[in-house]
Amino acid sequence: MILKSFSIGSSRFIVVCALLIAIIGLIGCVNVAPWERGNLAKPQMELDPHPLQSEIQSHNYSSREAAPSHKSSSGGGGCGCY
Amino acid sequence: MQRKNITAFDVKGGERLNDSASIVKSTKTLHALTSAALVLPGLLLPSVPATAKDRINFQYSRYQEGERNLFGAPNTLKPITADVLHGSGLFSLTDRAKFSFGYTQDTWSGATPVTITPLATTGGNRPYTDGGIVVGASPILNSSVLLDRDLNPIGRDPLTKELTGTVDTRSVLVMTSASPETRRQANFGLSYEWNEAALNVSGGFSRERDYKSSFGSIGGRMDFNQKLTTVKFGGGYTSSDIGAILDHDSSPYITKTAYLPQIVRRDNSEILRGERQDWIVNAGVAQVLTKNALLDANVGYTHSSGFLENPYKAMSVIFIDPQDLNNRQLTSIPGDVRALLEQRPNIRNQVAFNTKYIQYISPLNAALHVGYRLSVDDWGVNAHTFDASWVQPLGNGWTLTPRIRYYSQDAASFFRPYLFSQQKFIRQEVDNLGRQIWIDQDNPSRQYFGSNQFDLVDQNGSPVDGFSVRVAQKLTSFDAAKLPDNFSSDHRLAGFGALSGGVILSKMLGKGVALETGFEYYTRASSMQIGGGNNSFADFDYYVANAAIKFDMEPAASLPMGGSKTSFESHAHASSHHYHKTPPAGIMFGHMLDKPGDFMAGYRFMYNWTGGNMMQGANRVDDQTIIDQGCQGEPCRFVPTFMDMRMHMIDLMYAPNRWLNVMLMPTFMDMDMNLRRLPNAPPAAPGVHEHTGVAGHETGAIGDTYFSSLIKLIDIPGHRVHVNLGLSAPTGEVDIKLRRIAKNDGGLIHFGMQLGSGTWDFMPSLTYAGEKNRWSWGAQFSGIKRLEEKNKSGYRLGDVIQTTTWGGYDVLPWLTALVRGAYTWQGAIHRDFDSFNARIGPMDFPSNYGGEFWDIGVGVNAIVPKGRFAGNRFGFEWIEPVRNDFNGFQLNRQGALSATWSYHF
Repeated sequence: MILKSFSIGSSRFIVVCALLIAIIGLIGCVNVAPWERGNLAKPQMELDPHPLQSEIQSHNYSSREAAPSHKSSSGGGGCGCY
Repeated sequence: MQRKNITAFDVKGGERLNDSASIVKSTKTLHALTSAALVLPGLLLPSVPATAKDRINFQYSRYQEGERNLFGAPNTLKPITADVLHGSGLFSLTDRAKFSFGYTQDTWSGATPVTITPLATTGGNRPYTDGGIVVGASPILNSSVLLDRDLNPIGRDPLTKELTGTVDTRSVLVMTSASPETRRQANFGLSYEWNEAALNVSGGFSRERDYKSSFGSIGGRMDFNQKLTTVKFGGGYTSSDIGAILDHDSSPYITKTAYLPQIVRRDNSEILRGERQDWIVNAGVAQVLTKNALLDANVGYTHSSGFLENPYKAMSVIFIDPQDLNNRQLTSIPGDVRALLEQRPNIRNQVAFNTKYIQYISPLNAALHVGYRLSVDDWGVNAHTFDASWVQPLGNGWTLTPRIRYYSQDAASFFRPYLFSQQKFIRQEVDNLGRQIWIDQDNPSRQYFGSNQFDLVDQNGSPVDGFSVRVAQKLTSFDAAKLPDNFSSDHRLAGFGALSGGVILSKMLGKGVALETGFEYYTRASSMQIGGGNNSFADFDYYVANAAIKFDMEPAASLPMGGSKTSFESHAHASSHHYHKTPPAGIMFGHMLDKPGDFMAGYRFMYNWTGGNMMQGANRVDDQTIIDQGCQGEPCRFVPTFMDMRMHMIDLMYAPNRWLNVMLMPTFMDMDMNLRRLPNAPPAAPGVHEHTGVAGHETGAIGDTYFSSLIKLIDIPGHRVHVNLGLSAPTGEVDIKLRRIAKNDGGLIHFGMQLGSGTWDFMPSLTYAGEKNRWSWGAQFSGIKRLEEKNKSGYRLGDVIQTTTWGGYDVLPWLTALVRGAYTWQGAIHRDFDSFNARIGPMDFPSNYGGEFWDIGVGVNAIVPKGRFAGNRFGFEWIEPVRNDFNGFQLNRQGALSATWSYHF
């Protein structure tokens, strides 16, 4: 019921869902053996290689932009009313 | 991560291992491979840090905004700056459970937009002059504007406000300035790891003067498909209390009718109260695609309700008399510009879809991160974010990460730079016969009717002698129902695009210490919005620079990013040291490292509390004496009620050889104080800062930085003597100003609230320490000599001499109880501010600083003897003043707390 009110429309959301389903579909096709995972294990391949930096960036973005915070589940950040 | 890094080494360095044929190394390799296979998928989830190693981080960051474009109006207000101090840590409680904490404090100040008006009003940023020269601009919220028949503003010169005669449709931000304010946030987390799943809970709170929030969250992950697929989920709740202290300078000019039930008055301040709730859920999946690529995708939903406004932002509404509009004779129409507190919907739903692709670039040992994020909400703010970064290990522990980001958002459906309303802001009431209503001022229940005060009739229709009654128009405000339900001109809700870029440089120093620094430049322009925009008046830019130091608590295993240049040599672990006993926590430069190559990192917190009675010399003093004598011939009007000073220091100490240690201590200071108006004090002279309302003053940012060399003079069993030759660099600000209020400059804030000495200072000390069995003792003589005649604000703090002696007893092998006595002499401040200071109370006069102080300290020192945290030292000390003899008039000293943590690598 919430989605109806989004001006961008539900078609975009369907695309998003389709993408997600496609990703889940991919899972079965992938096979990387544990001994082939060396590159994946490198620090530069981490999802967030610089967490201290991304914390600062997202704090600044969220005080200057209207999109939800990147760290949306962790809470905090205060008013940012300036 | 530790084990993961080792894998990286093995894969790349396999040949080297074969050559070396070391049994030890091979065993370790095998172990590393096996453990890596077990923990690999953990890396996919930075939000579940259970595989991360124990670590402590400190970070300082500075945000600096550029000047806003005021289209020719003078812009002398300093743009917004924010100084942020962050500390965080992660500790293993068991093999599978981890505890994390974080503390962040930010202090911001500077110019911020309060509303937007047409540039062509008589108000806005109205210039003011000093001696005929324009020196600044005052924010004028209520003004008038002349419009053509299509309601286009007719231009005015931004300086003289004279009409130009041509249409000027530009809008402008109306800027106000703010004195510094501080926010503090603490958060805690617990996580638990199973073989193929993890769960974490966290919570915390954020406190600032006008906004308090508490938050909690729970999240987790599950691994599937031989750990190639990880599903993540999380949820969180934030509850916020808003108590916005409305600016006593601008509030009288802001219409707040819609919020009257929420506004309470306290001590001459208006406080707008509100509550807000935010619920968040998200789910995602991270998927390994190939041995060199992985993909991460998340969907998040946020539901916010309650007071979602920014309580400091107003909407400019141009009220137009419908009679003027209907009068075809008029070629231009006057508009009455009024500022109304903004009104946002009380509910907001946001959905964000976030995806990230990471590709390993084999020839360069680098990784490319590419992300896209779409967020939509029921306010009409749809946003796209694209970002890319390149993580490039350079060898020798260096990593360079350039980064670029593009963001675009649509305006909220209720965003307007300003509004028109076809009604008068205030009009005379009319009755149902169309007659204007008048009130008898001597008897407000009696009403008269008529078009002017000499042609009135009463309720019965009988004529009234206009000279015999005192009448006034019966006025009524605009009809709020004719305005939109929601309106905001907050530039954050406008449509715009933003491009930012930056670079992160990190260096692993070895011994478990890593340095990291980041820089980012951000530029916002309405023209960069996807599809283009026309709000260029709100364009601005900012930059952020930060530096961080990270300590790994298991130094033997620290490997640099990239994993190609390391060895398995184990560093001597902390627990193998013999420890000398350390002096009480409040003593600085009190001990030395013994072995060449030793490195120590630490954190020192000092809290200084003054409050209670005002004192003159050693005795309590009454208010009248302060008024008469406290301000050097001028009458004092205010005294402080309390002042807190907190100092955060990072201790970095290194022993290049047996007899020399070098030390670097960056500091971060923050202070807050409040004032009390002295009863019977005379009113302020015209043009002088008048402190009003419940809010006190806050400052906070980098303080002075200490460098020092410690030289060992005597080191025989049981007795050690060293001398410290220290310098303090004037990195703390000494020209912090209070904001301009009611056409009066705030001037420089009180001496004691400035963040540094402003001068290069010499800080020598001589320390003796002895120990025998369970007993320890020592003494230190120290001083501070200011090396310059004055700082950039024109004054110089007094010199300091201190002598202290202590004794300690080991209650337990790892716990020492200490007691000490200290005598301190500090001189008064020399010279005075060389620019304007409001001089409202004793704290603004140089002679009311310094004195002689006798203190007793009690404290404990502890060292973790074994186990996971072996080698960590902690110290606490409370300083209790015994006798104070102040120079002049000062607020009493209540005590000081010192807390230290240190770790040898």
